[in-house]
Amino acid sequence: MEINVELLLGIKVRDVDGKNVGRIEELRVERDEKSCLVEAYLIGASALIERLSAWTLVRPITRFLNSRDLYSVYRVPWRDMDLSDPRHPRLRIAKRDLRHAK
Amino acid sequence: MDLVRDVLDKQLIDREGGPMGRADGLVMHYGEKSQPRITHIEMGGATLSARLHPVFERVWRRFARMWGPGRVEPVRIPWSRVKTIGRDIKLDVAAAESGALAWELWIARHIIERIPGSGRHERHRGD
Amino acid sequence: MRLKRFLQITLGIVTSVGGFLEIGSITTAVQAGAVFGYQLLWAILLGTICLIFLVEMSGRLSAVSKHTIVDATRDRFGFPFFAIILVGMVLVSFLVLVAEIGGIALSLQILTGIGFPWWAIPVSVGVWLLIWKGTFSLIENGVCILGLVTISFVVAAIKLHPDWSSVATGFLTTVPHANKTRYGFIAVSILGASISPYLMYFYSSGAIEEKWDESYLPINRVIATIGMSFGGVLSMCVLVVAALALRPRGLDGGKFEQGALMMTTALPKWGFYLFAASMLIACLGAALEISLAIAYFFAQGFGWNWSENHEPAKDARFCFVYTIIILLAAVPLLLAFDPIRITIVSMALTSAALPLAIIPFLFLMNDPQYLGKHRNGWIANTVVAVIILMSFVLAVISIPLEIAGG
Repeated sequence: MEINVELLLGIKVRDVDGKNVGRIEELRVERDEKSCLVEAYLIGASALIERLSAWTLVRPITRFLNSRDLYSVYRVPWRDMDLSDPRHPRLRIAKRDLRHAK
Repeated sequence: MDLVRDVLDKQLIDREGGPMGRADGLVMHYGEKSQPRITHIEMGGATLSARLHPVFERVWRRFARMWGPGRVEPVRIPWSRVKTIGRDIKLDVAAAESGALAWELWIARHIIERIPGSGRHERHRGD
Repeated sequence: MRLKRFLQITLGIVTSVGGFLEIGSITTAVQAGAVFGYQLLWAILLGTICLIFLVEMSGRLSAVSKHTIVDATRDRFGFPFFAIILVGMVLVSFLVLVAEIGGIALSLQILTGIGFPWWAIPVSVGVWLLIWKGTFSLIENGVCILGLVTISFVVAAIKLHPDWSSVATGFLTTVPHANKTRYGFIAVSILGASISPYLMYFYSSGAIEEKWDESYLPINRVIATIGMSFGGVLSMCVLVVAALALRPRGLDGGKFEQGALMMTTALPKWGFYLFAASMLIACLGAALEISLAIAYFFAQGFGWNWSENHEPAKDARFCFVYTIIILLAAVPLLLAFDPIRITIVSMALTSAALPLAIIPFLFLMNDPQYLGKHRNGWIANTVVAVIILMSFVLAVISIPLEIAGG
């Protein structure tokens, strides 16, 4: 299946139990000579920031906060993300099993 | 490397060092079991307008069917053509061949070059 | 080599003449002087200081990162955010462009007696032709040299023998006993007229056109300071002349012709022509700057080829944008909308839209990827934070004030 990455940004992600996790903020990739493989998805962790990020004007600013480690993001390995319905991404694991990104 | 921070929206530079637009979108191929791959950089009005709202994309497509070079679908550059990623993204393509300059050439030919003093002869001298 | 760099001061002066000294700032300075004497000089000083900081930062960002503000905004904030800023900035700048072309037309009107709507098309074509055929250096140096005619405002101010100690008190912020709304309105207008975002975009693009690099940072500081001070001092002189020539007559400076009158009072033989010429050049500089700034905004934001130094056929989309903008700007004037009214509205809207330009700018000036060790220090950040605060206040009160006090 094919999807445009930029359309995934800001979309709400739920975990395997249906609980709200956050919004997709970033994709971490591994690049080599020929290809570019997606390693992990970064999901915004703070509920407040998450709510603010719904606003187009705010989301890019929260991107800045992220890079300053002012709020944390969950790091979801590609195996744990189910994109069969790209508009409603689901995790294959529970929220409590998520790791924070460095 | 992070896609949004390091690749998306960055300026694209062609083989000769000239600008050829920006990385308006990124195409990802994925499957049930396979690791998702970024296969193309996408550029164009359709890609950009879709990022704002589907309504904008519909309007753009209708507009692009009536006016301009007649190209409605976005331009896709295979990821294998990416040379370096820094502040800008350097690609191993010639801008003129990639389709990235379709609008630029169309506006040049149909509007700008019809106005005296546009340097039209300068441009063709290099062809 | 040093001299050549110092001559880059022309970029600063041109930015100042086009950005600082234009129809908005001149008309507000005239009104300020005519109604409140020297009391609003502090507002011009405040505007000048803010601009010095903002312009220096714009130059620094471009010289170090080799990217313009617009480049960096799209890079860092993504397209949807950028699109919002684009729409806001272009709409507001377009309105100011209409006012500037109107200013040129009004100058020609008082010189020839032919009504300004008749001048709308010739002026637009003239502005367009200068950009179409000219290079960045030509425009920069041309406007700078011609812009020196505005020094006549300084001469006029001195000739009227103001009481300099009274003038000095004008730099202290005082609130008058009567006419508070009007005072507030003019103060807001002065700040809105001074701190125009298109100035920053133009200067930033100019730095790239002139191929600045890190070694230009010291001269950038000099240029920003001297350039903006030039415009600031000139605006202050306009205010002083109005205070001495119009206030005693009970005129409020609301009509364009009163500007000519006040200059004739100071310089009986040449005042009229000097006023018309000064307005014409200042508005021309502004019109060129705004047209280019809007075209740069589109071209840099979408990644097109852009440079004023290219032949038009080489950066067709960039040229197409400024051509359309300039043609459209003539329309309201053809329809005989009063340029002064448009000026007043455009200044209120510029104030309202300021936060949109300055807030992302603050983030960019602290970004290590773009500026490395030349990021803002705490002083610069504090100044920008204050400007943002001020811009919010301006944004909120400018429209109601305009309705109440204008």
